[in-house]
Amino acid sequence: MESVKRVVKKYWKVYLVAVVIALVCDLIGTIKFDIGIGTLTILPMVFATIFAGLLGPDLLKLFDTKEAKLGGELVLVVLAPFMAKMGISAGANLAKLVAVGPALILQEFGNLGTILFSLPLALALGLKKEAIGACYSINRDSNLGLTTDIYGPDAAETKGTFAVYIVGSIIGTVFISILASVVASLNLLHPLALGMASGVGSGSMMSAAAGTLSTFYPDYAEDIMVLGSASDMLTGITGIYMGTFIGLPITRKLYAVLEPKFAKRKK
Amino acid sequence: MVRKYFVKELGLLLAVSVIMIITNMIGYKMPLVDSIKGVLLLSAIGLFGLTVSKFMSQFIKLPSMMYVSLTGLLLACPISPVKDAVIGITSQVAFLAPTTALGVFAGISLGKDIKEFAKIGWKMIIITLFVITGTFIFSAIVADLVLRVTGAI
Repeated sequence: MESVKRVVKKYWKVYLVAVVIALVCDLIGTIKFDIGIGTLTILPMVFATIFAGLLGPDLLKLFDTKEAKLGGELVLVVLAPFMAKMGISAGANLAKLVAVGPALILQEFGNLGTILFSLPLALALGLKKEAIGACYSINRDSNLGLTTDIYGPDAAETKGTFAVYIVGSIIGTVFISILASVVASLNLLHPLALGMASGVGSGSMMSAAAGTLSTFYPDYAEDIMVLGSASDMLTGITGIYMGTFIGLPITRKLYAVLEPKFAKRKK
Repeated sequence: MVRKYFVKELGLLLAVSVIMIITNMIGYKMPLVDSIKGVLLLSAIGLFGLTVSKFMSQFIKLPSMMYVSLTGLLLACPISPVKDAVIGITSQVAFLAPTTALGVFAGISLGKDIKEFAKIGWKMIIITLFVITGTFIFSAIVADLVLRVTGAI
């Protein structure tokens, strides 16, 4: 019983505040407004992320760093029933999932396309080796581990990965939700393709993107969620190999070719 | 070790289930009893997957969510004897019901990184936005092309 008391003592504040924030955000509901290039859809989870972030040790100081870390731990707890739901939908729609299998696997390589644009941009902005770590992937948890493992915690490459990781975890969820709104409004790509693309980052980014998309395409809502989570899972499994064997080598090659050119132009 | 993990996760899952039940009722207008049944079943599947993952991590390291999702998939796949019950009960939980809680905890977690974020500077912010945008759009383009080529859409 002693340990139960300890666990309750450790979590109660984070938990109670979380219940209140969730209640408020659910009462606010989903908000949509027109921003010219499309409809911006903001889910309760986006409000929740912003409100909770403001309460942290760096701003309003309701939570200290230790409590903020508990939040990270609880993200993984909530992801479990969420992924169970996704798994059940995948099982119920197994035939559909197999039919789109090739697209699901190949879009994982789509992740690499961004290197060709992001690395030149980073070099043009004057970054050096940090650019390699910053640009070779979307830099979620597994990539941070990978870069640290390969280059060591103090290397410039790792600093680049870490910076993108931090920026991504602060604004990634909100940003990808807005991005999904804008891309869906353009109506150029099929909702199923967008659903798959939702799975490129972290679990919370996936739910923000796929959730936003499902409000745009109610008829495809279930398919979008199923494909988003399937793609998220694939990224989780293949991410490390993709980074080690394809992403990093390509980025390093491209860096070796481009960096001297950008350096010369600077002078 | 695995047993202690099981007990801890059981407690945490029950706690977060309450938030998901609230969201399911307020945000998605589902009835109380159906919400409780659905969310608890999902959490039970989650608990099973997490426990298996913890046990398997002694041998091979794979994302824990893979085990959870796979458990759900097997329970609901066409050859599962319990598929009707599992699909029926969990259909009362909206897809987005867990996401509010997810957002709250993700927010609490990122609260500690804001100072670090402020130090990073605008260049990295631009690059991050660019990388996310590029990765999302490229994946979508490839998926769209392959879906069209393979005749899936």
